[in-house]
Amino acid sequence: MAYDDFRGFLDTLRKEGQLLHIADEVMPEPDIAAAANAAPRLGGHAPALYFDHVKGFTDARIALNVHGSWANHALALGLPKETGTKEQVEEFIRRWDTFPVAPEWRGNPLWAENTLEGEDADIFRVLPLIRLNDGDGGFYIDKAAVVSKDPADPEHSGKQNVGIYRIEVKGRRTLAIQPVPMHDIAQHLHTAEERGEDLPVAITLGNEPVISIVASTPMEYDQNEYELAGALRGAPAPLSRAPLTGLPVPWGSEVVIEGVIEGRKREIEGPFGEFTGHYSGGRNMPVIRIDRISYRTDPIFEHLYLGMPWTEVDYLIAANTCVPLYKQLRRDFPEVQAVNAMYTHGLVVIVSTKKRYGGFAKAVGMRVLTTPHGLGYAATVIVVDEDVDPFDLPQVMWALSTKMNPAGDLVQIPNLSVLELAPQAITPGITDKLIIDATTPVAPDRRGTYGTQVRDLPETAEWLARLRKLTAAR
Amino acid sequence: MSDTTPLCPRCAHETIEHITGSPVPGVWEVLQCVRCLYMWRTTEPARRTRRDAYPEEFMLTPEDIGTAPEVPAVPPLRLPGAGAATR
Ligand SMILES: [Zn+2]
Repeated sequence: MAYDDFRGFLDTLRKEGQLLHIADEVMPEPDIAAAANAAPRLGGHAPALYFDHVKGFTDARIALNVHGSWANHALALGLPKETGTKEQVEEFIRRWDTFPVAPEWRGNPLWAENTLEGEDADIFRVLPLIRLNDGDGGFYIDKAAVVSKDPADPEHSGKQNVGIYRIEVKGRRTLAIQPVPMHDIAQHLHTAEERGEDLPVAITLGNEPVISIVASTPMEYDQNEYELAGALRGAPAPLSRAPLTGLPVPWGSEVVIEGVIEGRKREIEGPFGEFTGHYSGGRNMPVIRIDRISYRTDPIFEHLYLGMPWTEVDYLIAANTCVPLYKQLRRDFPEVQAVNAMYTHGLVVIVSTKKRYGGFAKAVGMRVLTTPHGLGYAATVIVVDEDVDPFDLPQVMWALSTKMNPAGDLVQIPNLSVLELAPQAITPGITDKLIIDATTPVAPDRRGTYGTQVRDLPETAEWLARLRKLTAAR
Repeated sequence: MSDTTPLCPRCAHETIEHITGSPVPGVWEVLQCVRCLYMWRTTEPARRTRRDAYPEEFMLTPEDIGTAPEVPAVPPLRLPGAGAATR
């Protein structure tokens, strides 16, 4: 089943016992961020949080941790909340096979109820903004989908982009945005700035949950996020045209902010506590001028806490980072069984694979580093045998414990690219990368004294399914 | 907020702009430093609002601001008809 708006998903979370309404009065800081910081520590079934009694505000509504557990991620995809991680990734892969699914254009978008324009487009009048971490330079909007077009090919719907970027509130009508050079919007901005133009953008907040998932999926440049949303939803994504820019935006968003990234302008931004669990420093980054805000009556501000993992962002960019890597690896190496790139946006990637011959696992590891996502993220690749579940960390640790011999199994490649936020790089943007081959050597690689391995009993898989069903039915 | 002449907690600049106030009058203000653009709410903990309690690791100097890297870098202008095609 598909959700057409954010509130529909909140209703499901509520019914499933996955939405915690905090009715007590709280301080805007530090209470709300601290609660969202704490929520994922409740485990794989952690709930979303909903605040509507915030000191000093008259009608603030703030939702956080909406994707912040495997249970909530499953519900976002319309799966039972008990669905395991590996199963969610497998289902994601199956649904991606139906990509592309064309969107459905709808009139009377929900966000068209109220409008602020020009000098009146004051973001503080619409959103109950709050700070997340102590060292953040200000209030951030970090779960909005930002829509832009390729200025050199504006009619190509594949080259349009929907992505989640960090956005700092710099003033009543001023925002800052971080377009990391590896991301599609940075290419749009580059083209606009070469021409001396501004880049029009629409920033949509409070989206149905699959929009947030596709907006944070590392798709290829000319793949359309809304067409992936259709595939994942099992129904076309409902869209409308944003009134000022004409950009395609979700029909059911709570808030749509329109304006431009001002061409060739940079201004001090940050720091911000990033997905790496470290602050970025202060940097000069692009500036957005707000020209129009459209919003539902009594809009809900969806926000996302991120800090030392795991936090909501780690759930949001887990399955959707694994799947494109899996698909790209399988094109060349059908032996690949599964890809787990869910630790800090795939800075570590774990791949299970069959081996064609000795040395093959290392080739798979090297291919990970040259995928589009690998160029910017994968810093360490762990390759395990086909019977090791890369989502089961005890099994991965077993493989490291018994199969990895540093003599020949550690491949260090100097000075490769990585996104500038990776804290381990000595020069930001450049790092050595590591492939760890934790597979059992096969001929002609004769190393180690491997006897016969203990394997799961043939009946174990059946019992696992049976036990899960019994546990869920308790 | 007891301090009537607030100093930027982060860079110690003295020019602070009033950005907005609480919808319920008088509960809090949102202020911003015009130099480092740090923005804060007056009801936040002292570690975010007072210069004397602000953690050293988050402080910014005018030099930090002046030498901050550009992300992403502004590309050279390529005006139409200048020859090289855009991608
Ligand atoms: Zn300052």
